[in-house]
Amino acid sequence: MRTKKIASVALLGILALSACSDSGEPAADQKITVGFSVYDMQYEFFQKMAKGTQDAAAAKGWEVKLHDEKSDENEMVTGASALIDQGVDLLIISPFKPTALGPIIAKAKAENVPVIVNDIGGGGTPYDAIVISDNAGGGKLAAEFMDKQIQANGSASKNVASITCEPSATYAARRNAGFKEEIEARGYTVVAELSGNSKAEEGYKVMKDILAKNPDVAGVFSCNDPMGVAAANAIKDAGKSPVTDVVSVGFNADPEALTAIKGDLLAATVAQDPAAMGGLTVTLGEQALNKQPIQFSNAAEREVFNPVTLVDKTNVASIG
Amino acid sequence: MINAGRIWDTWGVTALLLLLLLCTPVIAPGFLDIENLQSVLRESAYVGIVAVGMTFAIASGAFDLSVGGQLALTSVVTLMAFNGGGTAAAVAAAITTGLLCGLVNAGLITQLRVPPFVATLGSLFVFRGIAYLLTQDGPKTLPYEQIEAPFAKIGSLDVAGLPVPFLIMVAVFGAGWVLLRRTAIGRRTLAYGSSPSAARFCGISDTTIRVFVFGLVGLTVGIAALTYITRVWTADGSAQDGFELKVIAAVVLGGTALKGGKGTLIGTFSAVFLVSVLNEVLVSRGVESAYQRIVLGCVLIVALTVDGLRTRFAAPGSFRRASRPTS
Repeated sequence: MRTKKIASVALLGILALSACSDSGEPAADQKITVGFSVYDMQYEFFQKMAKGTQDAAAAKGWEVKLHDEKSDENEMVTGASALIDQGVDLLIISPFKPTALGPIIAKAKAENVPVIVNDIGGGGTPYDAIVISDNAGGGKLAAEFMDKQIQANGSASKNVASITCEPSATYAARRNAGFKEEIEARGYTVVAELSGNSKAEEGYKVMKDILAKNPDVAGVFSCNDPMGVAAANAIKDAGKSPVTDVVSVGFNADPEALTAIKGDLLAATVAQDPAAMGGLTVTLGEQALNKQPIQFSNAAEREVFNPVTLVDKTNVASIG
Repeated sequence: MINAGRIWDTWGVTALLLLLLLCTPVIAPGFLDIENLQSVLRESAYVGIVAVGMTFAIASGAFDLSVGGQLALTSVVTLMAFNGGGTAAAVAAAITTGLLCGLVNAGLITQLRVPPFVATLGSLFVFRGIAYLLTQDGPKTLPYEQIEAPFAKIGSLDVAGLPVPFLIMVAVFGAGWVLLRRTAIGRRTLAYGSSPSAARFCGISDTTIRVFVFGLVGLTVGIAALTYITRVWTADGSAQDGFELKVIAAVVLGGTALKGGKGTLIGTFSAVFLVSVLNEVLVSRGVESAYQRIVLGCVLIVALTVDGLRTRFAAPGSFRRASRPTS
């Protein structure tokens, strides 16, 4: 009998602990409720995205119900379905597994709830709109910067290289495509376009190979920052500067990249703006609720692009 | 005292679950909404179904650490079968793949003489590895166009207000209870878990027990994969990472002895829901996911500590009692 008491007291204690963080119940009236199911709140990127979504919704006087998928497709389906059960008027979702969007969209359609996807992917489902960073535009910004920096370096070579993410990352591939189009329009030749599979160690190896085969390469664009910083390290290890000899540009404004830019170990990167992406989903959600037509950047996939910014040594202090 | 102890073995976790449910109107308003309850029943099913098989494994004195790998592989193969041959092919593929995984484990243990812990740790990586290989060009999915297929409905359909995955889970628990309590092989499994050498003297074969237990785990994984995949519609090698620990935690929390020889399916059943209800309560209170993990870990530790205290202070006779089935 004693043990039963011990266990009950222990459990009650734990529950009492969890009960301490009480928050007031919002008044239930006809105001619009939006459910936001987020990929994983442990990541800064998604914390900013959630903040941007909540701020934009609050500005409209909407209530936001936040759900953390915790990087788990089972939790994603369960939690997002629960939001629909709770009667949200609009669902915004940043899906951990885009391919698991099917059952969620099916449920939302049945309940007549519009769905706006934020980033990652749409999984081939009939969502209302998907917000993604302007990846091609980011590649273009990288090319513009690289051209200017190569001219400032006084380099005679018109040869540059491009390191891509894994072939299955279709959105990321647009970065390299946008870069290539713009840099070629500026009279350069992409002498090497190789995949580093998004990984730092492969980015390092690929850059070593590029330097061995094309010693005169004047710039390199990498699809993400781990590879960008690794490529810059390979350039440094070859006795060259990743800023003044081989202009190295990454993508994503990861903390390691910002540190590298401050230390002249990387020339530039491209920053996404998750808070603005969150705000954009709220705007699009309102249009979907009011049955207004959405202005798509790519109508075939119902994509809306969010602008990106270039980060170099001149503005790195203001980022992050 | 002895009676109280025996009752606690079987019904203790159930009592805690009821206590927690009684508290929910105060600590988690909205928890008792029909839709929320349905959601809890639906999402707990796949853990519960495999926990039935795992109860047998642990009662026989062995762990099966490979259930996460089995679930990932079975889910991937099931989706491939569905996309190739429809609902019937998918169901057949799920059961066959799960069962085969279990028999591979049994083979490693009985033929190659690898201890279960090591054999299933190894096969966990192998099964997951194969699942990764099969999904190298992207996760396998249930395409949105198949939304009306009977298979796609398994995970979302309700019968008389009860989610189908939960009904499947109840059926598996019922069958498991009969197996454990009313059949010779169930009794032998417990006897074997209590003392393998004594069981051998009584003519119980190692091979029979291992094949039965690990085959049963595989079979439950196959059934669980059906309820899992029709809810989530996608699978790849990373699906349900850490699944084995969720299942083992539920079985142990339920009161099945880690040493073997004692297994309680009633306890397992309640423990599955104790964990999911507690999780739901924490989520609804906005507790961060890091703290959720800590709380669940603490509950597990407290429960086992209490169990340890009870065994230490229990009256003489507890040794005999521990060797009897308690559900």
